[in-house]
Amino acid sequence: MHELSIAMNILEIVTQTCREQGYQRVDSVSVRIGRASGVMTEALNFAFECARSGTVADQARIVIEEVPVGGHCRDCGKGFQVDEAFVFACPLCGGTAFQITSGHELELAELEVDDEG
Amino acid sequence: MKVKVVKKILEANDRIAENNRKALRDKGVFCINLMSAPGAGKTTLLSRTITALKGRFRFGVIEGDIQGTHDAEVISALGVPVIQINTEGACHLDANMISDMLPEMPLDDLDVLVIENVGNLVCPAEFDVGENAKVMLLSLSEGDDKPLKYPLMFQKSEALIVNKMDLLPHLDVDIEKIRGDVKALNPELRLFEVSCRKGDGLDPWYTWLSERIKR
Repeated sequence: MHELSIAMNILEIVTQTCREQGYQRVDSVSVRIGRASGVMTEALNFAFECARSGTVADQARIVIEEVPVGGHCRDCGKGFQVDEAFVFACPLCGGTAFQITSGHELELAELEVDDEG
Repeated sequence: MKVKVVKKILEANDRIAENNRKALRDKGVFCINLMSAPGAGKTTLLSRTITALKGRFRFGVIEGDIQGTHDAEVISALGVPVIQINTEGACHLDANMISDMLPEMPLDDLDVLVIENVGNLVCPAEFDVGENAKVMLLSLSEGDDKPLKYPLMFQKSEALIVNKMDLLPHLDVDIEKIRGDVKALNPELRLFEVSCRKGDGLDPWYTWLSERIKR
């Protein structure tokens, strides 16, 4: 349910960027969402469609890049990436002394804008 | 035309949360974000904790609920300042809601501010409100599958209080599974097994909290 808050935060940053840069229309908004961030991409899609009306992005698509969970294992010294949202042991050596290095992203990445004004 | 706009989506919230944290630090107030599913026993834990520690620390409470003032009335009866936030549907508190309320709190007269978040095992974990420590409750009757189903809150919390331990003989719940799963999710997590209703097992929690507040 907090995907709506996330969508509204995205739109706030988009609106502010467009105001500062003078962009009149946004065609797409690209975001990077980590698999372990707790955000459901379908719910975010839906929330964005609901929240965009009346903003500079009211025709914009949201493009979601899902970032897999990855980490670095101190036992075997290697980096890894997994399909699951959570890691309990290094998938390479089974060690538990690892650090998660990706998968918690909640980032705006890129806007496609109409700058003809 | 494509424009790179690399920004954290919750940047605005995080910025306000940082302001809240600084405002509280300037007044010497330690802030706890208390989170759990509805009905896990946050308000009962808070009543017990305030009653046990109010001789040592001056507490203030912000109650977050979708609707109603029940929890605030319970806490107010203990003689501590309390503010109720009704989110009117929103599933979590965010930094902005807390920022609006801080001027209403007598911060000069407080040592500890407890923010009792909206009952929800998912969304509150995502939003920094300016706390120094996230503390969560899990009641035994919610089931031993919850840590693996809702891992984020377990991973982001410093302490987990497993409540309603007095119900263990009556429930089909494997406490060993809870212990093992939370350790795998968050090896640093401090675990307390208590019954807030009976008042059992709370002393280690009071000791930990007192030390954490003073740190």
